[in-house]
Amino acid sequence: MFDYILSTLIFFPALAAVFGFMIHKDSIRAYGVTVSAIELALSLWLWFIFDSNVAGMQFMENLPLLPAFGINYIVGVDGISLFIVILASFFTLIGIASLTDTKKVKNMIITLLFLQMTMIGVFVALDAILFYVFWELSLVPMLYIIGAWGGEKRIYASVKFFLYTFTGSLVMLVGMLFMAYFYYQATIDPITGVGIWSFAILDWHRLILPETYQLWLFGAFFMGFAIKVPMFPFHTWLPYAHGQAPTIGSVILAAILLKMGTYAFIRFSLPMFPDASVYFMFPIAIIAIIMIIYTAMVAYAQEDVKQVVAYSSVSHMGVIILGTFALNVEGISGSIFLMIAHGVVSGALFLLVGVIYDRRHTKMMSEFGGLASVMPIYATIFGVMLMASVGMPLTINFVGEFLSLLGFYQQSHILTLLAGIAIIVGAIYMLAAYKRLFFGEVTNEKNKNLPDVNKRELVALIPLTIITIWLGIYPKPVLEPINNSVEYVVQLMHDKSITEEAKTRIPNLVQASMQEVN
Amino acid sequence: MEMFLYIALFAPLVGSMFAALFSASPKTLIAGIVPSALLFISFLASSILLAYVLKTGGSIHVEMMTWMATGDLYIPFGFMVDQVSVTMMMVVTLVSTVVHVYAIGYMSHDKAFNRFFAWLSAFVFSMMILVMSDNFAGLFIGWEGVGLCSWGLIGFWYHKEVATWAANEAFIMNRIADLGMLIGIFLVYWNTGTLQYVEAFAAMPSLETDILTWMGIFLFIGAMGKSAQFPLHTWLADAMEGPTPVSALIHAATMVTAGVYLIVRANPLYDLIPHVGLFIASLGAFVALFAASMALVNRDMKRIIAYSTLSQLGYMFVAAGLGAYWVALFHLMAHAFFKALLFLGAGNVMHAMNDELDPFKMGGLSKVMKGTFIMMTIASVALAGIFPLAGFFSKDLILEVGFIQNHYIIYTVLLFTAGLTAFYSFRLVALIFHGEERYKLFGIDPHEAYKFMLVAMTPLLLLAIIAGSLKGTYFDMVTIVLPATQYHVHSAVVYWIMTIGTQLFVIGAIAFAYKKYALSEVKVPDGTSAMENSFGYKLLKNQYYIPQFYENYLVKPYRELSLAFWKEVDMKIVDATVDGIAKAIYNTGENTRDMQNGNLSTMLKWMVAGAVGLLSLAVVFGLAVKFSSEIEFFLSTLGVQ
Amino acid sequence: MEIGLNHYLVLSTILFAIGLVGVMRRKNLLLLFFATEILLNSVNIAFAAISHYYGDLTGQMFAFFVIAIAASEVAVGLGLLIVWHKRHGNIDLDNMSTMRG
Repeated sequence: MFDYILSTLIFFPALAAVFGFMIHKDSIRAYGVTVSAIELALSLWLWFIFDSNVAGMQFMENLPLLPAFGINYIVGVDGISLFIVILASFFTLIGIASLTDTKKVKNMIITLLFLQMTMIGVFVALDAILFYVFWELSLVPMLYIIGAWGGEKRIYASVKFFLYTFTGSLVMLVGMLFMAYFYYQATIDPITGVGIWSFAILDWHRLILPETYQLWLFGAFFMGFAIKVPMFPFHTWLPYAHGQAPTIGSVILAAILLKMGTYAFIRFSLPMFPDASVYFMFPIAIIAIIMIIYTAMVAYAQEDVKQVVAYSSVSHMGVIILGTFALNVEGISGSIFLMIAHGVVSGALFLLVGVIYDRRHTKMMSEFGGLASVMPIYATIFGVMLMASVGMPLTINFVGEFLSLLGFYQQSHILTLLAGIAIIVGAIYMLAAYKRLFFGEVTNEKNKNLPDVNKRELVALIPLTIITIWLGIYPKPVLEPINNSVEYVVQLMHDKSITEEAKTRIPNLVQASMQEVN
Repeated sequence: MEMFLYIALFAPLVGSMFAALFSASPKTLIAGIVPSALLFISFLASSILLAYVLKTGGSIHVEMMTWMATGDLYIPFGFMVDQVSVTMMMVVTLVSTVVHVYAIGYMSHDKAFNRFFAWLSAFVFSMMILVMSDNFAGLFIGWEGVGLCSWGLIGFWYHKEVATWAANEAFIMNRIADLGMLIGIFLVYWNTGTLQYVEAFAAMPSLETDILTWMGIFLFIGAMGKSAQFPLHTWLADAMEGPTPVSALIHAATMVTAGVYLIVRANPLYDLIPHVGLFIASLGAFVALFAASMALVNRDMKRIIAYSTLSQLGYMFVAAGLGAYWVALFHLMAHAFFKALLFLGAGNVMHAMNDELDPFKMGGLSKVMKGTFIMMTIASVALAGIFPLAGFFSKDLILEVGFIQNHYIIYTVLLFTAGLTAFYSFRLVALIFHGEERYKLFGIDPHEAYKFMLVAMTPLLLLAIIAGSLKGTYFDMVTIVLPATQYHVHSAVVYWIMTIGTQLFVIGAIAFAYKKYALSEVKVPDGTSAMENSFGYKLLKNQYYIPQFYENYLVKPYRELSLAFWKEVDMKIVDATVDGIAKAIYNTGENTRDMQNGNLSTMLKWMVAGAVGLLSLAVVFGLAVKFSSEIEFFLSTLGVQ
Repeated sequence: MEIGLNHYLVLSTILFAIGLVGVMRRKNLLLLFFATEILLNSVNIAFAAISHYYGDLTGQMFAFFVIAIAASEVAVGLGLLIVWHKRHGNIDLDNMSTMRG
């Protein structure tokens, strides 16, 4: 019964998208909502039947595709990917439900459903080639969304988005091929002289590579992931993409697509190259700090409120990267939690920006001011999300940020202090933007009679607000499965690391728990 | 007892949510009454807890649920009522009940009446979390929560530019300090393995002094932000843009004292690092004097009181830094009562004067506002530390602490500041209530505040008078958890000389203030007198030029740097590089497309060129292989490996 | 002085160079064919000479192959050339650029 739930999750939206072509355009919205609601229900059911105490993969499926080359259809889910899958289906539903009237609604909804397939595929794929296929496929619907529904410079933005990320992934593909080759080399049978080809990620996790190989492969994978995240200095495609994309595109991009990069770091780079991860820990941490502070300052300078949120995404992704490379349970759990948190909060912020964009067709902050008295409910929800974004305790972001920074503190005090500046600079640009939008007198005539958020917008925003606060107060249901899977990964990294430094940097949990027993 | 703990904690939250339900609708009286009633319930519950703690000498500890748990980290929502936190709970609930009731009158004409109570009760809830939490993470929740509510309340009148600016300033400055606090928390966690007070403090004596010092410093940085200590003090004076009840509750009685509470709470840590304690005390003494000096010349009633708050916080830090934690907490409590009273009185005056803040435009108000006049005078007497009011017991004790521990410089500074305190307090009282009725020039018709507002203030008045007599009971109670050091000057003669000397000095300062501002003709400062043009006066009037310094050397450069980062670095370097690479590739294609011009002879030429190129490469490699040993020899003579 | 292998190879090289220059410089398609023939024949000379030198007939076999293929190529090529000339009235290389990229 549960055996094929992951395949169902992946291919149901795609199938529905195909059938969507046959639906009349008046009822396509209802159709889209229904499909994505079923999909969300399925993914929530997945959470329900998910065994939180198991650290490894669950609901694995294995279907040979090209067995001679070790390319198979392998999918599975663990605590690390579970919540991102749920987030993906959740945001597709939110996105479709809150979709404002645009041209070609039908195309948009079909594209979104197709995009959903690729997103879920990426997060449950356990075969590198399968992962790569979904990873690249996800670019296509996004390219279409930005290119077809975007703003003035949409072609430039979409092509830049596509080519930039595509270039990075090609380097990653080369890394994957090399990895498979090394796996083949390592498994050569001394008698027959024949090795085993495998692209299965779990096989790769078991492979112990010499340090030099690790460094090169880490670099190759890093190119793909870093551009996707996006890490400084590969981030410039993001403001363009966000600036030109329609609201729904920005929401999905910020909430889910960016998480692919950070997720891939945890799925590939850390367990496959533990020594390289330790080797590159500090350079990456420094990049993360640059991301945090530099992009926060750039965000402060923006005139366009959507760009503020876009740059703030980069800044927050810096904290996620930092937590990931803390290489201990606290940090990695925190970074995964922050991925979800940032998904919820930045998704909500982009939706909120969309609300005023729909009313005024401008995102320039100078056009607004004093909205708090005109749109009080809007201002309140925006305020909640603002506070979540700056990491107020009892909101979802704080848990992630706190744990990420706490985790990295074990590795370096000074760098954590620098990264902690995030909480200051984050407050600066967010409060400045809020002040310009909401405070002061209403100076612009056009703003005097703006209607407050309507029902359709509330349908999208209220659940996000509830999640923001609920998971901020009670993160346990999410944090616990994450924790178990992360402990497994950290232990794996410790066990297979070869350098002395890596052994000390990555904690040995078994030993620690043994000591506790004694 | 656990039930009372939960009632005390959550009643304000319920009140806040109740008021928030109405926040979008026009003024509804019930949105003010219900939160006030709930706060009173919270106050009653706190009193019961106080009685319990007094009677049994024990503490109550509950763990509501898990908050965060990952790896070795385990943080629950845990609450603890012990002698220290119950003191704070009493102060918080009492003052906030008074302020809530008062605000029903004060805010009665404001159209955002409901929203005000939502924020104000939310603040009380955060403050209760802050003081009741049994771990550092919970403290941090409250810490940030009060910061948030402070932001919302300073910027309550959000259409005013200065108010929102001040709100953001307060939030951001507090954030700077919060970073220090966060790092302090990380230090505690990675060195003791827990964030629970009890376990963490128990583990601390076995740690190295270096680590403890850093812990102490970083936690104190957090305290500096909330308690507005130098150099993070500028936000407090600007925060006076908020409604006056907010100033009374948040920026005088409760939130700003959170820093002192933190130091008192972390007393086992600070006991281990007396050198950090001495630094705290020295900074406190400096701030006491520094803030008092700015209050001397200021022409804004609320800012004068704000500076006095700052100055008194300095006193508290002196006591806390010198290890006299119970004295610090005692002064905190006494100060909360009389300072809140002073602020609420100022609120009455503002109402009467149509929100005029310049005391030089008032004068002679004692005739129309008798109740307010009496209350503010008594509060000022208490602040000045005249026997037998609250300030005498708490403030003089701090002076004694300094004296006994042989920190004579600190003692002298504090003594001098006590004189300044008395002077500026009574300068204010004299300017407002005595002398000529200068307000008539501005056509203002002052009137006394609502009766119930005055009635609401009476508990504070009573406590400002009698708080000193509670000292014995209080001492017996808190010293169960705090170091029970008695501070008595050993020689009776010295004691009496000190006490009477201090009293005379203070009374002299009061008399001088009266003489200058009440009895003789008040000259409204207009920038002409010699004193106003002196360097010292200007320095004080411009708050030592610190706000200007921050504006010119921090805020502006930050803005400019941000712009430069965006326009110059991000657009012209990072993005241009990316586009440059793309363009280079594109241009290569554009330029080399001539090779494919379809002309057979051109293509043949390229073919020949390619063949020649490959051939010559083959020749070069062939030669290199043939003469490899010679080449190696040649290179080795050049020193290349 | 006996005529040895080197002389043949030098001759072959000279012919090859002449052919190469012809290939590069000629604009007339017919003359281009001539140049190609010179190239091929220079190679044939080298093949035959080396074959003789080593006493191995394979080289001469190859030369025959080349001659045969060159002949068929010319046959096809001239046919195309005539068709082209009928259509366009000239056989100038510069006008043949429909494959322009």
